[in-house]
Amino acid sequence: MKPSGIHRVLTGLFVLAGLFAVNFALPRLMPGDPFLSLSVEDGNVNVAFTDEQISHYRSYYGLDRPLGEQALTYIAGLFRGNLGFSIYYNQKVLDLILARLPWTLGIVISSLLFSVVLGTLGGLLAASARNKLLDSALFTLGTVLSEIPPFLLALMLLFTFSAALGWFPLSGGLTPFRQHAGLAALTADILHHAVLPVLSLALSRAGEFFLLSRASMRTVLSRQYMLTARAKGLKRRRVLFRHALKNALPPVAVRFFMSLGHVLGGAVLVESIYAYPGVGKLMREAVGVRDYTLLQGIFLVVSLLVLAMNALSDIVHRALDPRLSAS
Amino acid sequence: MKSFWSIGGKAALSYILLLALVSAVYGLSGCEAHRNPASLSLEAPSWAHPLGTDDLGMDLLAQLVHGAGVSLLVGAGTALLAGLGGTLLGMAAAYFGGKPDLVFLALCDFFMGLPQLPLMIVAGAFFGPDTGRIVLILSLLAWVGPARIARSRSRVLMKEPFVLASRSYGGGFAHIAFRHFLPHLAPLVSAAVMRVVGMAVIAEAGLSYLGLGDPLSKSWGIILNRAMAFPGIYFTPFWIWWILPPLAALILFSLAIGALGRDLERKFNGKL
Repeated sequence: MKPSGIHRVLTGLFVLAGLFAVNFALPRLMPGDPFLSLSVEDGNVNVAFTDEQISHYRSYYGLDRPLGEQALTYIAGLFRGNLGFSIYYNQKVLDLILARLPWTLGIVISSLLFSVVLGTLGGLLAASARNKLLDSALFTLGTVLSEIPPFLLALMLLFTFSAALGWFPLSGGLTPFRQHAGLAALTADILHHAVLPVLSLALSRAGEFFLLSRASMRTVLSRQYMLTARAKGLKRRRVLFRHALKNALPPVAVRFFMSLGHVLGGAVLVESIYAYPGVGKLMREAVGVRDYTLLQGIFLVVSLLVLAMNALSDIVHRALDPRLSAS
Repeated sequence: MKSFWSIGGKAALSYILLLALVSAVYGLSGCEAHRNPASLSLEAPSWAHPLGTDDLGMDLLAQLVHGAGVSLLVGAGTALLAGLGGTLLGMAAAYFGGKPDLVFLALCDFFMGLPQLPLMIVAGAFFGPDTGRIVLILSLLAWVGPARIARSRSRVLMKEPFVLASRSYGGGFAHIAFRHFLPHLAPLVSAAVMRVVGMAVIAEAGLSYLGLGDPLSKSWGIILNRAMAFPGIYFTPFWIWWILPPLAALILFSLAIGALGRDLERKFNGKL
């Protein structure tokens, strides 16, 4: 039995409510105190707030109110697009996240696209290979790739291609202080910095897309209509791409949208390794300085993105497979 | 008879057993080399220190061996908690059905719907840097896999004549679950638990890398964290003996767990 649409919507709302609850409760239960972090600056300057100042700020930020009231204010604010104010950065959380989001979405989406194309073509090649050796070589490669976690791969690529060979920059998303001659130079610089983060995220994902599309292709290729298509005298390429690939794609497409959560999770670590200026690096910085509101905001935005993509994967699944919506 | 493990599986098993043996011997020997400065800092590999020393002059091989023990304990602890807890919850959901089952499914949806690593980071920051608490967090997020398998398999078993007979004789949940469900579930769940081990070890390394690990424990992730925080790490050859060994150990571990999981799945999926 496939779950109905109403059930899906209810589940989504339930997860959303749970998300708000977790998001509100967790940062407040964390040890440490934002004012403690603010009081002690590293370096030579030692700033200590008096108790009076701390209690002033506490009431200014509403942290002295009862928890229930804080929760209501928080949720009401969320619906108005107010994710709060970062105590550490002295900026609106939403602005901070929006400034970093394009960097993260850039590497996440390009790695997803790159991996799905690479993985599917590999799967097609392996499943249709007449040469069994090629199939098993690709299969081994795909399995190994799919099992190397992105952040370990990121460290490996960073030290091989940036530190040892010097082909790619060590960190960041742009060369600092460089005056770019034009849009082309700027784009080239951004792409040059993005290659390794995108590869780190994409290769393990490509392994998974490969295994999935290979299995899916093998099922489709064993169907009767494939025999019919070949018996009609159609060209091999046309049979493979128009008859087989089209029918093997739905599971790959669904997995594509479901993968966003994993890739975003991987991006948090990968961004930290390459000091890439995205949301993941911001999250690590927020943990370091115990910035409640910022941490909450990032977790919320990332989770909402993932929930939206999960919903989208459901819609895509129904659109691609008419049998689901007919029942 | 064909051997139980494939060649890859045998290699994987020997790697993990080797790690367990070496780290157990090291732990029992009471040697403190992983946290006592033994020599000059940042020494290149030599006979006295086969993998050199770190910025505080501590032997890196000792840290690697000690870290293997930490990683294995995190993996085993999470597997035990999440595997046992998840299986129990899954069996209960299948046995009781109705409302408990709906709550169970909603919980599964909740934990599967959220992005795991950001949730772990937020929870890890909340629980504080302690290996035991990290195991708790990882288990809280990892039980869903084994639990769903246990539930779906137990639902099939609920309709089997021998379970119906046992229930008609008054067999309660504990009896049905442990005498009838568990023996049939164990092989299938073991493959899911194997994946939990891999996830836990890698996630612990990731959290430690981000600075959320126990700074006193010297796990593989902590070694990487300290090495990457060293200012000149990119411009000196130190990374060759400081970063590569724990990195290789982690990647091999991930591959080994994958190979074992595949072997278990192939073996038991065909059987059931």
